[in-house]
Amino acid sequence: MTTTETSPNPTVTAPARKGNPWLPTLHGTFLVTRIELLRRRPSTKGWIFYGILLAAILGLGILVSVLSTAEKTSTPLELVLVLVLGAGMLIGPSLSATSINGDSGEGVLAPLQMTHLTAGDLAVGKLLSSWFVAFAVLVTTTPFLVYAYARSGWHLGELLLVLVVILFLVLTATAVGLAWSAIAARAVASVSLAHLTTGVLVIGTLVLFAFTAPLVSDTMTETDRYVAWDELSDEQSTALEDAYNTGDFSAVDPDALVCDEETYEYGIAHTERTAWMVLINPLVVIEEVSPLVNPLTFEEDGRAAPGIFANVHQMVSSARIGPTEADAQMMEYDECADIATMASGDDESADGGNAYQDTWEQQQEEQAMYPRTPWLGLGLQVLLLVGAMAIVTHRLRVPYRTLRTGTRVA
Amino acid sequence: MTILEEAPPITAAIQATGVARAFGSVQAVQDATLTVERGKVTALIGPNGCGKTTLMLMLAGLLRPDAGEIRVAGADPRTDSAAVRAAIGWMPDQLGSWDNLSCLQTLTLVGQSYRIPAAQARAKGLSLLRKVHLEEFADRPTRVLSRGQKQRLSLARALVHDPAVLLLDEPANGLDPRSRVELRQYVREIAAEGRAVLVSSHVLAELDEMVDDAVFMSKGRTLGDDAARMVAHARTRYRVWSLDVDALRRALTDASVPFEEAEGGAMVSIADEAHAQQALAWLVGAGVPVHRFGPAGSALEQTYMAMEEDRR
Amino acid sequence: MTVQAQAPTGHALHAQGVRRAFGSVQAVVNASLTLTPGTVTALIGPNGCGKTTLMLMLAGLLRPDGGTVEVLGHDPVTAGAVARKGIGWMPDVLGMWDSLTCTETLATFGRAYGLSKADADARAFTMLEKVHLADLAAQPARVLSRGQKQRLSLARALMGDPSVLILDEPASGLDPRSRIELRDLVRALAAEGRAVLISSHVLSELDEMVDEAVFMSKGVTLGESAEAEVARARARWRVTALPGHDVHAALSEAARDWSPVEGADASVAVVHVADADDAADLLASLVASGMRISAFGPVGSALEQAYLSIEQERR
Repeated sequence: MTTTETSPNPTVTAPARKGNPWLPTLHGTFLVTRIELLRRRPSTKGWIFYGILLAAILGLGILVSVLSTAEKTSTPLELVLVLVLGAGMLIGPSLSATSINGDSGEGVLAPLQMTHLTAGDLAVGKLLSSWFVAFAVLVTTTPFLVYAYARSGWHLGELLLVLVVILFLVLTATAVGLAWSAIAARAVASVSLAHLTTGVLVIGTLVLFAFTAPLVSDTMTETDRYVAWDELSDEQSTALEDAYNTGDFSAVDPDALVCDEETYEYGIAHTERTAWMVLINPLVVIEEVSPLVNPLTFEEDGRAAPGIFANVHQMVSSARIGPTEADAQMMEYDECADIATMASGDDESADGGNAYQDTWEQQQEEQAMYPRTPWLGLGLQVLLLVGAMAIVTHRLRVPYRTLRTGTRVA
Repeated sequence: MTILEEAPPITAAIQATGVARAFGSVQAVQDATLTVERGKVTALIGPNGCGKTTLMLMLAGLLRPDAGEIRVAGADPRTDSAAVRAAIGWMPDQLGSWDNLSCLQTLTLVGQSYRIPAAQARAKGLSLLRKVHLEEFADRPTRVLSRGQKQRLSLARALVHDPAVLLLDEPANGLDPRSRVELRQYVREIAAEGRAVLVSSHVLAELDEMVDDAVFMSKGRTLGDDAARMVAHARTRYRVWSLDVDALRRALTDASVPFEEAEGGAMVSIADEAHAQQALAWLVGAGVPVHRFGPAGSALEQTYMAMEEDRR
Repeated sequence: MTVQAQAPTGHALHAQGVRRAFGSVQAVVNASLTLTPGTVTALIGPNGCGKTTLMLMLAGLLRPDGGTVEVLGHDPVTAGAVARKGIGWMPDVLGMWDSLTCTETLATFGRAYGLSKADADARAFTMLEKVHLADLAAQPARVLSRGQKQRLSLARALMGDPSVLILDEPASGLDPRSRIELRDLVRALAAEGRAVLISSHVLSELDEMVDEAVFMSKGVTLGESAEAEVARARARWRVTALPGHDVHAALSEAARDWSPVEGADASVAVVHVADADDAADLLASLVASGMRISAFGPVGSALEQAYLSIEQERR
């Protein structure tokens, strides 16, 4: 700062600016992302932490591959995908949720707001930089992903689609973290709120679904008929007992049997009305974009046996379909009618079971192959993303109209 | 310097009239009016919590005023805040730097944030680092910098885009003595280049040597002409130290010169240097053993103290 | 105010050849200083010269790599509890429990110093009075301004009734009036018989506050050379005459040890005077010789002068 020094003073050319722009620009977004990533260059301790994390992921992967048999199975792949989603949804928001109020507390936010960077540049740049770190987690799992994919029976396109959706879900979770960071004054609060939001989506929706089931339940009456053993003559009882033991009902006169009727009331949940709660769950969204597996024909289809995702899809589909006629039929029990059928000789006793079996299998197949609907979940995620970024951009715009309570500009 | 060539004929770089801003129920700035001229250093003086920083934030286009008019380099921060921010170099009172990045990287990236091409931004960053004596830290991460060094980096950061107006919020806070002296000289240099500088500080003795104008602020209001008159008055106060205090006071009383008692001597009011010389010659001639004679310390400090008596 | 009986050696704190490194960075290389009860000692040096590190070691919060520290006759390394009891330390960072009131903050520290609840409350009240915060006693710390927090921090340092006070940049961020009040408060604390070590960058203010000064540069305390420099600076008077009058010639004629002022003409000079009497004599003779003098007095801050000339050599 001495006056005597004659250092060259290079002239700089910064373009003139007008108005109060806020939209993100390509140059600005790129620059902010770069700054944020440079700042996040891990220290030695950080590298060690990431090393441990990577080792844990790989270790788990190897464990799964050792424990599993040689036949086709999609479970390892599904586990990796859930792990990637889980890690991404933890890491992304953890980073983004401190990046606005944290920066402001450190006094490094306002100097950037003073430059030509717009609020949009800062918002998107911070979002992308946090998201890239989560992306890196995905990259670290690649070796195991390749192995797990090779034996999963999935097609490449299907895997890529699921990966894209996972990255999108992580992006949204990161944006929500960023929004909390723009709203809350303290980093502790915004990180908790960000994870709470994720928790509500992942666990809260399931809990809510379970707890709302009684609210959408209808009372159904069901009539079961039994043979009234007490009122049978000795011959009749003996004949019926023999018939049950031998399977030969020819000696039984079904019309002579006295039957008792019992009426039960039971509730059935019309889960088709609350299934949307499950559909907005990020894990369900992932499952809803992964391939359908037909439980009857998977071998001919070149697929592995239904894994976690396929089973979850089936459960979700069952919830979406709700109670059906077939369910009601399967519930009813009519001993007298069964005996009549068997006594008439029209049907073998096993056939009754077969009919039941067929209905059940049909239902399983119907549920398993029920069309996938990730749209509700994805739609909500888009809304969250857009909403969160709107909040962030709005709160980053200067001149500030309002400040986070208990904070200063800087 | 391109600034001079491009400077419009008006000399006021900042013009603020009746600016007000509240945070919730707290009225941080009630009525602030000030003018900062090109080529001059203006001081913003007031107690902690009087609204200086809030006012500076509004001038910088970071905070929206509730009322009042602000023009920075001819632009209104409310509607044209991008132009205002482009014209302003702001050095915040809070020290912040990107721990992981080197000093040169920091300046280059901030330069690029102003859309200065990377090579130019780098060259400018290097020259500024030299200017603030941080060239040896150019490639070291900013986390190794001490508080005073960070302060100097912050000053360099405010100058990256050759701003026409410089807002310095407590720039000397935490600086070591030599850096304070250098900062004083550097600020004068910046003003000599035709830029307008608004600087706040609590060390009034240092401001005395650095500024052309002073704006006093108290409880959210800028004090206009009153304060200017008080500064002018304070500049006429001289202090006389004598080995024999009684002799001095007797001489003054005998000549019916009004004076205030001060430790080791007296305070008198003297219009200018010529009168001062006459007064001193008279005192010495009257046999008063004067061993010190001169203006009574910082005019700004005296004004501040006179003005701020009702603080509590 | 009761201050414990002083150590028989006559000094409250004595450090000899103290050094400390952080990794490969030698923060303090060789520091020696002595604090005497009833005096205020300044610790002066550029940013990053090791002042704060030295203060941390004196306060018993950081273990020196070498050298000896003695607080009231105790070594903070081996007898940490006793040494810390005698020391009040005010850090350069402002840390407060936002939601506790001033009284609660101080009383809690009083309890931490082992006072009974009643004593701690009483002492908290006394300390708040002393630092002019009594009317904010029931306010939570978060509503305090920076200057008020600074004063609360000082009060906190005084809760243990220390004989040695270590103040790291206490005036940093204070407004002008608070600075003057702090100055008076520090002098009052010294007058009670405490030894005070204070660091600051505003040397003109230290000039009026301190009895002794320790200069520090690159981790080394400068001993007698610095003292001599301060003494020399204190004896430098600036003579200003009306424009066009040649002070240089007059001083040469009076056979005085003088030097010109950079950037000024012959009407201004700096002259060496032995003491106030000598200064009065010189002024009388100059005026008698017809020199038209408009100002006559010490050259700015003696500490600043000394600091700048010491630093100049070291660059």
